[in-house]
Amino acid sequence: MRARKEKNARHISPTVWLLYVWTVLFVALPLVYVVAITFLKKGDVWGITDQFTLENYQNLLSPVYAKVFLDSFLVAILTTALTLLIGYPFAYFTAKFSPRVRAFIVLLLMAPFWINSLLRLNGWIILLKANGAVNMALQGMGLIEEPVKFLYNNGAMMLGMVYALLPFMITSIYNSVEKLDWPVVEAARDLGASPAKAFLTVTVPLTVPGIVAGCVLVFVPSMGLFFISDLLGGAKTLLLGNLIKNELMQARNWPMGAALSIAMLLFTTAFIFLYKKVTGSKNLGGLM
Amino acid sequence: MKKTLIRAFSLLMVVALAALCVVGCSPAPKKELVIFSWADYIDPDLLAQFTEETGIAINYNYFNSEEEMLAKLEAVEGGDYDIIIASDYIINIARSEGLLKEIDKSKVPNYSNLNAEYLNQYYDPEGKYTIPYVAGTPLIVYDPSKVTCEITGYNSLWDESLKDQLVVMDHMRNIIGMTMKSMGYSLNTEDPDVIAQAGEKLLQLKPNIRALDGDTPHEKLISGECTIGYVFTSQVSAVLTERPDFAVCYPEEGMGFGIDSLFMPKNAPHEEAALSFMNFMCDPQISAKASVFTQYINCNAAATQYLPQEFLDNKAVNIPADVLGEIEFMEDISAEATEQMNEIWNTFKQS
Repeated sequence: MRARKEKNARHISPTVWLLYVWTVLFVALPLVYVVAITFLKKGDVWGITDQFTLENYQNLLSPVYAKVFLDSFLVAILTTALTLLIGYPFAYFTAKFSPRVRAFIVLLLMAPFWINSLLRLNGWIILLKANGAVNMALQGMGLIEEPVKFLYNNGAMMLGMVYALLPFMITSIYNSVEKLDWPVVEAARDLGASPAKAFLTVTVPLTVPGIVAGCVLVFVPSMGLFFISDLLGGAKTLLLGNLIKNELMQARNWPMGAALSIAMLLFTTAFIFLYKKVTGSKNLGGLM
Repeated sequence: MKKTLIRAFSLLMVVALAALCVVGCSPAPKKELVIFSWADYIDPDLLAQFTEETGIAINYNYFNSEEEMLAKLEAVEGGDYDIIIASDYIINIARSEGLLKEIDKSKVPNYSNLNAEYLNQYYDPEGKYTIPYVAGTPLIVYDPSKVTCEITGYNSLWDESLKDQLVVMDHMRNIIGMTMKSMGYSLNTEDPDVIAQAGEKLLQLKPNIRALDGDTPHEKLISGECTIGYVFTSQVSAVLTERPDFAVCYPEEGMGFGIDSLFMPKNAPHEEAALSFMNFMCDPQISAKASVFTQYINCNAAATQYLPQEFLDNKAVNIPADVLGEIEFMEDISAEATEQMNEIWNTFKQS
């Protein structure tokens, strides 16, 4: 028995080998490289030197970086809260439609993904700019004299964030609501619970896995997205993603950029662990 | 059956990977020229004309940032590419690292057409390695019907009436440099006290800034989103083409300046082709077309007669020498100064 097991272990199919090679080559090694350069000094002109330093991690604690972390965190929290607020009712009512209508709504939800997200954000600019469709319409109706400044403020940035990440929230919650055991909710109603109470004490707890998965899927990328604040926020706010981009492209400080990336990675990983803890899932299947 | 399919598929992938390696390593036998620059930086018609005249096929590779270009050039030890077009300060770094190849001028007879004012600059003091392609200077461009204060130079940008009106390039060195110039210092100042003062002053500009944008600030000006901008030459040009009513200000505190040049890396694989391309680009008519395409200042003295009237009338690309006055290049500065500026820049954006 034991011998057979060992033989099996030694005989790994080529597909699995390919997966190992792939993972090591394109995931593990680059990550090791990024971690390694966080401990090196930056080169005088650009690039890195071979001198060891812990400075990059000490710098993470400087007030500017700390403030950027805090700002990014708040933006991510706000984005998650807003997408949840809009996404939950959307997903809930979608799941109550007939299968045919449901499929159609999911298709509508997915269709924009076939278009590059930069293009979709530029679409918002075309709509909202000073001589854009919305301002023209408002002026045409005589509601405003001068164009409203919709773009290049925090509101526009939040709009972009919510717009870009909402589908992740909706699909996660939709998956949960669709699998919901409706008779349980009916039982609660039969036993005298009001619709609101049945919703809050039965439906919501049963869809917690979807809610948490959606929150993680929205929260994690919103810490790192830089082009939305650049495009719709007028590049006037510095989020973690922007900071990393600046360090690499303008300050030519690779080690600092790498250290910030690692800090972000650890921070977001913590949230994925939180997900595992809350949902009690052994793997991360719900996030796929 | 399924297993066989999977096996066949993985085998196919391994073979494909191996094939990729082989293709990547083998040299191309045909006559070709490998160019490395920003996307869309050379008129495709001119490239086609060059291929037609010489039979040399062009392989145009592009980079997003010059730092990326330098990284690749270092990785291949000055090989792989024949012609690179990049800006002055990065060429200076590449030169200090010994990555440039001297130009055999006897093979570039059109070199004599070039305007001497743009030759032998700090990044190539003896004029051995580079051919100036185009030049530019960031300028202030504004809508006179909306801007009520008088615009004379950088300091005008701080005027309170411009609250939430201004678009400037999203570029640390340019904006901090502009601030230092507004205070009467060089844009390459490395003095920590001056940089700190500039940082203080820059923070006061924030309320006026509607957007930071290095790529499409002209669109924000054309659409009326912003009424005044401090932007690059070709962007000023784009604004003036769409909105001739806009005014241009040559800052009284003096202008920053940049030249983008062609150079050959040390181990360029097709030197002959590169030299004939350099000669081609120095041809007066070709050079005129190149400037009209890029909307930057022409560096070829013999090309002036071929420049169309609307190009000569364009205030962004045709600046009288006496107005231009004392220009200043943005040079690479010390690591300490860069770090200090980076901190200022982060604080400024974050405020």
